[in-house]
Amino acid sequence: MSEANRGAGPPRTARTTDVAERIRAEFRSAGVTGFLHVVDMDTGREVAVAAGEPVVLASVFKVPLLVTFHRQAAGGVLDPSEQVTLRPDERTAGSTGVSALLDEVRMSLRDLTCLMITVSDNAAADAVMDRVGLDAVNAAAAALGLRDTVIEVDGRGLHESLLTDAGAGSVAEVWARLDEPGVMNRLRALDPLRTSRSTPRDMTRLLSMIWRDEAAPPDGCAAMRRLFGLQVWPHRLSSGFPYDDVVVSGKTGTLPTLRNEVGAVEYPDGARYAVAVFTRSLLPTAVLPQADAVIGTAARMAVEALRRP
Amino acid sequence: MVSSLVVNLVGHLRCFVVVAEELHFGRAAERLGMAQPPLSQRIQRLERELGVRLFDRSSRRVRLTAPGGILLDEARDILARVDRVYSVAERARLGEVGTVRAGLPSDLGGPIVAALIAAFRERRPELRLDLRETGTGEQIRALAEGALDAGVVRHPCDTRDLELGPMLGRPLGVLLPAAGDLAAAPEVHLADLGARELVVPPREEAPGAYDELLAGCRRHGYGPAAVHEARHPGFALGLVLAGTAVALVPRTDDTAGVTWRPLAGEPLVWRTSCAWRRAGDPEHARAIADFTTVATAVLRGAAGMTLLDAVPARRVVPRPSSGFLA
Repeated sequence: MSEANRGAGPPRTARTTDVAERIRAEFRSAGVTGFLHVVDMDTGREVAVAAGEPVVLASVFKVPLLVTFHRQAAGGVLDPSEQVTLRPDERTAGSTGVSALLDEVRMSLRDLTCLMITVSDNAAADAVMDRVGLDAVNAAAAALGLRDTVIEVDGRGLHESLLTDAGAGSVAEVWARLDEPGVMNRLRALDPLRTSRSTPRDMTRLLSMIWRDEAAPPDGCAAMRRLFGLQVWPHRLSSGFPYDDVVVSGKTGTLPTLRNEVGAVEYPDGARYAVAVFTRSLLPTAVLPQADAVIGTAARMAVEALRRP
Repeated sequence: MVSSLVVNLVGHLRCFVVVAEELHFGRAAERLGMAQPPLSQRIQRLERELGVRLFDRSSRRVRLTAPGGILLDEARDILARVDRVYSVAERARLGEVGTVRAGLPSDLGGPIVAALIAAFRERRPELRLDLRETGTGEQIRALAEGALDAGVVRHPCDTRDLELGPMLGRPLGVLLPAAGDLAAAPEVHLADLGARELVVPPREEAPGAYDELLAGCRRHGYGPAAVHEARHPGFALGLVLAGTAVALVPRTDDTAGVTWRPLAGEPLVWRTSCAWRRAGDPEHARAIADFTTVATAVLRGAAGMTLLDAVPARRVVPRPSSGFLA
């Protein structure tokens, strides 16, 4: 099967249709609307739940950014070890990594990519984006056949639009005001037609290409896989696979009511699965463990269905 | 499994027919008022979806393949039928301007429904009011599909693309067996309910409000040992009478064997508002506005709901894992 046709996939069996129904029920009982695509990277067998629908990427935009960074490094456009200075007053807001620091930081571009993936550091991501360029990320996405993936804005721009649209002074205040009539409608950052977007299918395609050494040269893909494997968050995709011998790698995405994770799940028998789960919760609550956990649960249900012979 | 293309199959077929007529992607794109790359993408998606090549693009000229020729007649047939659907809908719409189709939750109670109908009849006697008993989840879906003009929804729910009336609040109290010890006090602390079993309306009627209610119970120290779902208030009453469970409901007149007590500090509030889709036709929009105005007034009067001027400010402290762009 050619790569271009992979998304259309082999015929769906009764069993994967059945698991899709059970996954939908799982999403409902967790109080979220869910979009999922899980594909066996080597056979193309898949489980799909609204997998072609447009979804808000949130921090998952850092994945195509990382891929573009490595393609540029391979092409000699940038030097991964180039040192960059991040001044505290110019940094993008966030609660992790350089975003949370107080003083000036000097670091290599590739170490910035480490923070942007492993702890979703927004300051690091925007410093990388400043160097790589938004247009280059979209061009790379197009070159990789990601037809429904568009990066509209960097972290700084998202932060500004979120506060402006909500008329709020902080992201905490945006959360607090989500319940007010009309606020949800005004937030461009939460509308897949007006912000950086993709589909679960596009994201599993991208992850599969990273795992198959097709998204960039093999050393670049290996460096990317290492970073996804170092991501610290235990509450989403990882929580669905509480097995010491299973490797879970991923990148989360979070904005008010949106919880996403894309990644890879690798079993000791060599089987590997690309996973993309995007959710939107009914409750406007920042701490919602069941909405985080259902990402892992849904992914496991899909992977287990694909593992049955 | 429904392919995502099915939703927009008609649009894709229209592209196919125009390309088949022009046999030239540039001219076809011009006729369709779109750029050429998205047109090519649409044709490719359609070919993937149908599993056949529609055009032969190997030479410099675009040619219809044999399967493409067979499908062209089918596509034209479908498009003609779709056009008919629109024209029938147009005629129906002109007749429907005089009707407001509205959804109401089943737990409003008979007197409220009657008051609403009477008030609307008084305001717009010439209009027809088509009321349906349906929960919030179903109303949101029906509003999105255009099967309803307006509804009375319980929050939180997905209100994107909907217009909302004023937010109305109604504090919940607890329905208890009259003979029990808790009924002796003028009000009840949620935590005093201990692990008593709880009876609530089915989650599917308003999943957001259901989840918020149970989260609120736990937050205030009440962890029910079991949660029963009762579609009909009479069934819930039976469970309360039998001492099996308590119910969390708005103020209710005492009936034999059952007592309603307020909750100390009003920790649980039902939030309700009218919701509607903006109508294209100004006359229809006015009819919908009249309904929602009347409904809001009845809910505030007869149903005892109070205006929540602003949503009570919630304190939110995002954690790193739920922080901005985590």
